[in-house]
Amino acid sequence: MSKIKMAVSLYSLQDEYLNHRMNLSEIMSYVKENGAEGIEILPDQMLKGAPHVSDETVSEFKSLLTKNDLKPVCADVFLNTNLYKNRSLTRKESIDLLIEEIKQANSLGIHLIRLVSMVPYWVIRPLIPYCEQYDVTIALEVHAGMAFDIPQTREFIEEMKKVNSPYVGLVIDTGIFCRRLPRVVRAYEGSIGTSESVFDYIDELFKNGTDLHQDLIKNNGFSEGFKAAMKSEHDKMSAPLLDGYENYDYSVLDEYLPYIKHFHFKMWEMTQEGPEFSIDFKGLLQYLHEKDYDGYVACEYEGNRFTLAGQPMQEKQQVKMFLNYIGGCLKEIQG
Amino acid sequence: MFDNNVFIEGSCKNFSEDGKVSGYEMTTNITYYRGIPLSMVEYIHVDVDGERASDEDIRISVDQNDWFSMKEAETVTTYKWEYGDPLYIRVLKDGGLSKGQHKVALTVATRTAYIPVPLEGIKEREVVID
Repeated sequence: MSKIKMAVSLYSLQDEYLNHRMNLSEIMSYVKENGAEGIEILPDQMLKGAPHVSDETVSEFKSLLTKNDLKPVCADVFLNTNLYKNRSLTRKESIDLLIEEIKQANSLGIHLIRLVSMVPYWVIRPLIPYCEQYDVTIALEVHAGMAFDIPQTREFIEEMKKVNSPYVGLVIDTGIFCRRLPRVVRAYEGSIGTSESVFDYIDELFKNGTDLHQDLIKNNGFSEGFKAAMKSEHDKMSAPLLDGYENYDYSVLDEYLPYIKHFHFKMWEMTQEGPEFSIDFKGLLQYLHEKDYDGYVACEYEGNRFTLAGQPMQEKQQVKMFLNYIGGCLKEIQG
Repeated sequence: MFDNNVFIEGSCKNFSEDGKVSGYEMTTNITYYRGIPLSMVEYIHVDVDGERASDEDIRISVDQNDWFSMKEAETVTTYKWEYGDPLYIRVLKDGGLSKGQHKVALTVATRTAYIPVPLEGIKEREVVID
């Protein structure tokens, strides 16, 4: 029996926050009113002074959670290996930064950290004693464009399996389950000069059950067809960036289910009809239900960065539509 | 992608120190979706009427108390540019900008945690100096 619950990554409302249309209190109330049970936060985004937040900030954060009856599900953590311009951080410096993040998560009452994609495998063993001491799990994000076929992800997974600790796992981003290119991406990239033929080429790949990421690997770079689709220098610069929409079957997760701690339900556009334009969330929820997944699925709206010039930001509406749709699916699937 | 974050509207004006106009200033939001230490600001360019200000004349601050040149900022890890807070940018120029209308373009680039190229944002605004 699955126990799938809904959360919202506050990342989804970042433009509202940046431009001071909503503060953290208003954001928490909003997601609660619309049906979320939990929240995910980037401490670097909405908590001043992270990873060394003040006692006052911790207390405010916790009181907002209590007031809104929201569970703090996950902290999204980054690793600034390029903190300095002239060199990369050493292993010791990198691990020390992550220890601070673990301590901060504990102080915020958060027991799961999402490590951003490409965090190296060698952080795992030195961090485990801290994970145990502070009761914080670390989980690598499996993100489209940086998913199961990328050496850094493979190395992390290999080490994760060897270590086999309940404190180490994965967060899956649903950008790996695209069945077509988001049309908001097409509209935005088109508006800044990418040729229609580039998108047509990618659409055809999806129709054939594959994606640009696989196509680039298969051809060891641009295929002849893709080269022909690129009409300008702008196309050559921008087209490779369109590989972050992958078309995996859900069964790719079978092997990793024991390690999956959390899901980012990445979405670009909830449609008026209900479903997301590119991703079949209902199908994925059905799969997770059949696999007895017990955990959160967190809305991660990213259509905000593809808002056309002069058009209003849709963050609030999109989050609301997501919660309505996913809430309906869960009711139907889980009863 | 983060162009809309750059160059807060109405923020460009001359500033004075010790009773004389020493340059002009503006503010910007971050070209990223999270806060970062100042050392992760990769570069900042200011172009006025098509002419680029020298890097050496640019100063940045998160609190308007402590100002750093771009070279100095490379080692500044304890001052954080928070998401949702402005970065204050000054360009040293005796007398500041002349009265009247100018085209001011601001370019801001930040280094990010896993994206191999800096995230750059550019915004040009029509500015009127009183």
